[in-house]
Amino acid sequence: MTKLDLATALRRALLTTTAMGSAAAVLLNTVAASAQAESLADLEAAAKKEGQLTVIALPHDWCGYGAVIDGFKAKYGLTVNELNPDAGSGDEIEAIKANKGNTGPQAPDVIDVGLSFGPSAKAEGLLMPYKVSTWDSIPADAKDADGHWYGDYYGVLAFEVNSDIIKESPKDWADLQKPEFKNAVALAGDPRTANQAIQGVYAAGVASGAKDAKATGEAGLKFFAELNKNGNFVPVTGKAASLAQGATPVVIRWDYNALADRDTLNGNPKVDVVVPATGVVAGVYVQAISAFAPHPNAAKLWMEYLYSDEGQLAWLKGYCHPIRFNDLAAKGKIPQALLDKLPPAEGYKKAVFPSLEDQSAGKEVIAKQWDSVVGASVTN
Amino acid sequence: MKQSKIGAWIAFIIGTLYFIVPLIGTFEFSLRMKRDEYSFEAYRVVLTDPNFLASFGYSVLMALITIVIGAILVVPTAYWIQLRLPKLRPIVEFITLLPLVMPAIIIVFGYLRLYNSSSWIPLTANARSTDLLLSFSYVTLALPYMYRAVETGMRSIDVRTLTEAGEILGASMMTILFKVIFPNVRVAILSGAFLTFAIVIGEFTMASLLNRPAFGPYLQLIGANRAYEPSALAIIAFLVTWGCMGIINLVGNMKSNKRMA
Amino acid sequence: MTAIDTTPPLPAEPGPVPEAYAASRKPLVGQQAWAWIGITPFLIFSILFLIVPTLYLVIGAFQDADGHFTLQNIADIFTPSILNAYWLSIKVSLASALLGALLGFFLAYAVVLGGLPAWLRPTLMTFSGVASNFAGVPLAFAFLATLGRMGLVTVLLRDLFGINLYATGFNLLSFWGLTLTYLYFQVPLMVLILTPALDGLKKEWREASEILGASNKQYWTMVALPVLFPSVLGSTLLLFANSFGAIATAYALTGSSLNIVTILLYAQIRGDVLHNQNLGYALALGMILITGLSNGTYIWLRSRAERWMR
Repeated sequence: MTKLDLATALRRALLTTTAMGSAAAVLLNTVAASAQAESLADLEAAAKKEGQLTVIALPHDWCGYGAVIDGFKAKYGLTVNELNPDAGSGDEIEAIKANKGNTGPQAPDVIDVGLSFGPSAKAEGLLMPYKVSTWDSIPADAKDADGHWYGDYYGVLAFEVNSDIIKESPKDWADLQKPEFKNAVALAGDPRTANQAIQGVYAAGVASGAKDAKATGEAGLKFFAELNKNGNFVPVTGKAASLAQGATPVVIRWDYNALADRDTLNGNPKVDVVVPATGVVAGVYVQAISAFAPHPNAAKLWMEYLYSDEGQLAWLKGYCHPIRFNDLAAKGKIPQALLDKLPPAEGYKKAVFPSLEDQSAGKEVIAKQWDSVVGASVTN
Repeated sequence: MKQSKIGAWIAFIIGTLYFIVPLIGTFEFSLRMKRDEYSFEAYRVVLTDPNFLASFGYSVLMALITIVIGAILVVPTAYWIQLRLPKLRPIVEFITLLPLVMPAIIIVFGYLRLYNSSSWIPLTANARSTDLLLSFSYVTLALPYMYRAVETGMRSIDVRTLTEAGEILGASMMTILFKVIFPNVRVAILSGAFLTFAIVIGEFTMASLLNRPAFGPYLQLIGANRAYEPSALAIIAFLVTWGCMGIINLVGNMKSNKRMA
Repeated sequence: MTAIDTTPPLPAEPGPVPEAYAASRKPLVGQQAWAWIGITPFLIFSILFLIVPTLYLVIGAFQDADGHFTLQNIADIFTPSILNAYWLSIKVSLASALLGALLGFFLAYAVVLGGLPAWLRPTLMTFSGVASNFAGVPLAFAFLATLGRMGLVTVLLRDLFGINLYATGFNLLSFWGLTLTYLYFQVPLMVLILTPALDGLKKEWREASEILGASNKQYWTMVALPVLFPSVLGSTLLLFANSFGAIATAYALTGSSLNIVTILLYAQIRGDVLHNQNLGYALALGMILITGLSNGTYIWLRSRAERWMR
């Protein structure tokens, strides 16, 4: 993947967000000015005085967060309170709201949420702006111009296949409809609840070649309705355990989760991770600091750490593409060994980055109509 | 009277099969961590983790505290409702059913809003008071089960006669409650205690959002994206919890045997 | 009021005191006050830790995202998909509650009164304690690992007996599969709650009925079951509410195919996709109302059952 392709894709996708962002930026100049990165040494001292950081919704096997958190603890000696690794983006926002005024370790300092939750949280006044020292190397279309939220990593939807059960891995979405995959295909969640699942449906729609977001959503639903009718769709939430047990031998997941599973399962069973030939959808997640963070300096230090080369490469080790991937690649900072562990780069060239508007339009269609188009057939 | 025991045995055997077979399925899967052979590898990974004992011990302690608070809250309430305030029974029963349908996450966010460090009852101000808040939340979660168990038990003893007998013999209210009523609903309290214990050991949402080192969050951290370890954990947690309940049962029965001797 | 009571004697069976009798007793001035003091800790606790959080929910159901009053959330509930979700939830809860009550009753009876070896009872009690909370992902996975398409029992039946379980129309990922899974925590709950009540069935009544020449069936239909009925009913209600509020097991097992209201709630309040908090609160309010209704039904049924005792 060339940096040009990726940048163009991002730019094309998130154009409207920039327009809105720049308008707001003019008005909020003073705020933006105060969000400049402070000197790292001062920040470190202030953070150490606070002594702890509270994070939420960071499972250890997601993007290698376990190693990221350990690295942060080792480097700065702070305690990290890990709240609810099982939380969804909605939970994180709710946790900020519920902990307004709470200075205890239950109040999250930083959040890692889906793209659409960034602007909505900003609108509700829940975020504190901050621009890390490497701010300029974050693509303009993946961040809020005032620094309230900023993209951290992305991945694409891939097929995670239990190779012991499925002898020949599917190469593309259309393959999933074949009779070899009877009772085999699962999503990693409920499309009304989990972002990962709904993007999976959206990706199936993209593969069908639909043009706008609404049509894509509907095409995705049709795909899954057909999958269900053929008896290929398993309505169980796909996880490492159900993949290994055989209930869901093919799971549609973010590539980084699939690759992490491949590592944990360690050959038992053998796992094949396939980026589909068409319909490659990428999902960006964003970082933000809570406006009511009890430990704001620790939060800022955390951000500095995440967006430093060290932090970004730690995410890459967890198989997530860090947002500064192109910058790091241009500077030659990415070890070849790391690159080799990822799926071939060609798969990512065709990645589609749905804009905020596309995402909401697609979600609207898929979440509302999932039951009637797909689920309703499983009655009793 | 001679009763045919066949029916009882059939019921028991079918029940046993229904409960044991899924556990066998889980156990069999947990042994498959090493490819092509059965091994206890998953168990080794789980049991060598130092946090296992620490978090389990914490949860056991919280469970015992919850049981005591729950019993002290519920038994007198069920007693007074049965004896003197029957009109309040529907209201109290409805209240005790609420925790079953209120999502735990709404309850805990409610607590954070109400009792955080800058509110009028700053229960999250330090670790000990947060522990107290956590045990109150556990009592709330276990309330439906504790109440129903104790109320059923209280129904089957003649509360009025026992109270009258105590009064005639000159006992105070406290004595009647603690020396007459409590022992007579011992079996029911034990049932409630078992249910409470299991709930507290496995509870995840509240402990996780209140940032306390309980067993539930530990299970989640270990098991989240693994394949074999969660099954091993489920079996271990099952067996250990069962063992603890056996101990509670022994202690609970011991007290009554001593009194009767 | 003289020292000798001329009012009818207390019935020997346990149960609420008949109104007429209670009113005619010597009024002990302090007693009502004692009662209110006695339940005050419970009331305070409930208000602080249960009622007030519920109020947040109730108020939130009538607000929109900006905090203004609105009835839109309530109106949104009356869409076909949400109403279907409620109905499906009620069906699943009823099925698992009734089945769980029945099977739990037989199991409890077997162990308490069935003449089985004495050590089986504490074993079953303690096991039920653990099993009553064995729900969510571990339970769903246990059933998948046993009765799923690649499950242990499915494979054994196929390899050893040549029976193809799924060809008979059985499917774990369906309404009845979910009910079967729910029974794993419903039956133990019933066993635990009902055992003290079964203990309360006095041996004397059995002996008396035998002396009077009653058959086994008559004993049960005329003595034991009427006495147990309020407790059985109360436990069934608990099972119903327990199942109604269950989410984790359903989500893990049949998540995207069975549209029950707790999953919808989860999607609105906790999900990454829909996230309309206030609609979620309205859904929860609906659930609370349904629980209240079932509680009311139970009270009505119980008062009818207890009428014969007066």
